[in-house]
Amino acid sequence: MPDGAAPATLDLTQFDGCRTVPELFANRCKKHSKQTAHREKDLGIWKSYTWDEYWNHAQWIGLALAKLGVERGQVVSILSEDRREWLYADMAIVAMGGITNGVYTTDSAAQLKYLVNDSGTIVLFLENDEQLDKWLEVRDEMPTLTKVVVLDRDGLRDFSDPMVMFFDDLIAMGQQAVREDPQRFEAEIAKASPDDIAMLVYTSGTTGPPKGAMISHSNMIFQMAAAMPALEVFENDEQLCFLPLCHVLERLVSTYAQLASGVTVNFSESAETVFENLQEVSPHTFVAVPRVWEKIYSRIQITRAEATPIGRWALDQAIKTGMAKQQLEEAGKPVPSALLTRYRIWEALVLKNLRRMLGMDRIRRGGTGAAPISPDLLRWFAAIGVPVLEGYGATETSGIATFNQRDENNYGTVGMPVPGTDVKISPEGEILVQGGHVFQGYWNKPEKTAETIRDGWLHTGDVGRIGNDGALTITGRIKDIIITAGGKNITPAEIESRLKFSPFISDAVIIGDGRKFLSCLVMIDQENVEKYAQDRAVPFSDFASLCAATEVQELVKTEIDAVNKEFARVEQIKDFRLIDILLTAEDDELTPTMKLKRSFVEQKHKALIDSMYAA
Amino acid sequence: MSKPVLEINNLETFYGPIMALRGVSLQVQEGQIATILGANGAGKSTLLKTISGVMDPEKGDILLDGKPIQKQDPDRIVRAGVAHVPEGREVFPFLTVAENLTMGAYTRNDTSGIQSDIEMVYDYFPILGERRDQQAGTLSGGQQQMLAIGRGLMTKPRVMLLDEPSLGLSPLLIKEIFAIIRRLNKEMGVTMMLVEQNANVALNVADYGYVLEIGRIVMAGEAQKLLASEDIQEFYLGVTGETQRGQKRWKRRKTWR
Repeated sequence: MPDGAAPATLDLTQFDGCRTVPELFANRCKKHSKQTAHREKDLGIWKSYTWDEYWNHAQWIGLALAKLGVERGQVVSILSEDRREWLYADMAIVAMGGITNGVYTTDSAAQLKYLVNDSGTIVLFLENDEQLDKWLEVRDEMPTLTKVVVLDRDGLRDFSDPMVMFFDDLIAMGQQAVREDPQRFEAEIAKASPDDIAMLVYTSGTTGPPKGAMISHSNMIFQMAAAMPALEVFENDEQLCFLPLCHVLERLVSTYAQLASGVTVNFSESAETVFENLQEVSPHTFVAVPRVWEKIYSRIQITRAEATPIGRWALDQAIKTGMAKQQLEEAGKPVPSALLTRYRIWEALVLKNLRRMLGMDRIRRGGTGAAPISPDLLRWFAAIGVPVLEGYGATETSGIATFNQRDENNYGTVGMPVPGTDVKISPEGEILVQGGHVFQGYWNKPEKTAETIRDGWLHTGDVGRIGNDGALTITGRIKDIIITAGGKNITPAEIESRLKFSPFISDAVIIGDGRKFLSCLVMIDQENVEKYAQDRAVPFSDFASLCAATEVQELVKTEIDAVNKEFARVEQIKDFRLIDILLTAEDDELTPTMKLKRSFVEQKHKALIDSMYAA
Repeated sequence: MSKPVLEINNLETFYGPIMALRGVSLQVQEGQIATILGANGAGKSTLLKTISGVMDPEKGDILLDGKPIQKQDPDRIVRAGVAHVPEGREVFPFLTVAENLTMGAYTRNDTSGIQSDIEMVYDYFPILGERRDQQAGTLSGGQQQMLAIGRGLMTKPRVMLLDEPSLGLSPLLIKEIFAIIRRLNKEMGVTMMLVEQNANVALNVADYGYVLEIGRIVMAGEAQKLLASEDIQEFYLGVTGETQRGQKRWKRRKTWR
């Protein structure tokens, strides 16, 4: 076994004596009872909800679902933004032996239909009238569905339909059921077995329709037992929940890390208010996707540009000092006391305020994953006193497979395997993983499962290497590898993540498979580029005209040229085009976490791509 | 394309610390009607006030026939050829209709030209001719709006800024006033910049449209293209998509395309 793997005595099949999720849930609700589990904003005011409420709601919903005919092993889907009812329903479903499946609120009616039918969903939770309308559009085409539960009644006072019930009615039904059989819920919890499936997480397949990854109780228990000690999440901490709960990362952080530690989860109001909510909550740990960290960085760059010359100078000095300290620490060298003193002064004068402004004055650790991030960005955050640790995982590893730790952060790598995990690289360069978190297969797709788990190893589809220190570095997706007309193999992710470090570039897709040279499609950061244009008196009206402005084209070219310098000649971008449509999460080209999807981009913007190779 | 009569680049205007225009750029072509749509507080009136010199921009250029006019006094801007028909008419209530029109010609000294232009205004708005000796304050709202437009015409403008001519008028009067606006544009070739809340009438009379939201232009295009846009239909024309329930409370997300 390599260094850092679990000592033989560590039992990763149980967490605090619990072998299934419902068992742990019951244990935690008893333990924390009157403490605050969740906070949610209601008409602008943060309200607290206790663990007892978590338990009661789960029990009511659970027994009501049983009355609605949901049996063990059947799927219940939730289509809602993050909110406490999401978690209540999730725990209710799992406690009753059901399987939870989350649906993205940005999914279309057709996608909803596919997910419901593929998973064989019996009951569907819908957040509000908007999602209800989605279901109404395709209701006749979902034969397995027997009931729909709507969480919000707003705007639906006059609506009635035999198949639809509202959340408060469901709760009333559950309360009645508890009176009839008070022992039922705990009896169901006791029936759970570690091999039961707890959730389906659909992966947005770039080829073919989405596949539902089956994640078992033992998978999640393993995650908690193996990863939690190093994640440093504690009972009196605060967390902010804002990424979609359908995604395995947020589920792990907001549901399972909470069960493990007892941390308070605060729900962000909406995707637009994340930064304000972050300030209000000031979390102790904060896990986000690279896009969010990039956004925070560029917000500071903008604030800097608007500051007074003195303010700007002070910020630059503070960050410079922080960088110097960070560099020595990264190299494992001692920090001279003169530098340390200087750092402490800047820390007191500038960095502390900066962190308070960001809502990171209490932060112990930030985390990032789910997409590549520029190591320089992580160094920059370290310099301002926010350690951000990169990890790696997939839906198929139930979340985390490797991560960095505070006392040993290998920048540019995704860290060491979590205890109980073996990672190796196949002869083709693909990353293979073995461990208790490897999923149980794809729902009703044994042939896809057989393709993914071969000879006992999970084939992740990612390409990477393991350093001498044992830390894993990801270089890209095996499917994304570009082979140019010259026969050169290029992994685009590295180049793309360098491009995204520019505050003006929100995302980029490198093109060049079978072509003479590399080119790229760029999605600009609207806010920052608009500001750039406005500061330089470059006229523009709408987004398309902004993209068309010569100065903006020049700006992107400069940014690309800077990145080109860091790469070998064949890896340099020779031409580029801007995507002049403002994309939203509803568009096929974007994932719900606002990443560009290569295959869709290549398809939808084919004309734009061809225009670069026309000559 | 011909040279624009009015060209605005990167305009920023503040009310104290509040930034009302956050970098607005647009163009009005010779002989065309350009309309600016936007909700309350979007910055539409601020934009017109900044053009006519009532407010000074912090930044940006306003070019009339290629010559900068920003930050000049309003009277010089009127002389340069910009007529501003303000929101709420603002006629001189104690002056007669005829005197109001003469006031509009304050910057001119060609007496005979002024006289014939007053007759021209009476031609377009016969009701004003009938009431030429009546105090303007005693006119109805629609008649006051006609008078305000007529007064603006008296400056013989290169471009006329119209701030919500439909404000507070009955649908029938709105139709009448817009018919005259269209005639003025077609027959006299008056270039106009029209600010409106009533997107439907504005887009039907205009050649080109801009959508202003919180001080920024989010959409621009030919009036016909805007009329066809799903966002404009839902947010400005009140057309809601059909749902199975027959009612819809939630709004689609704006994409401005």
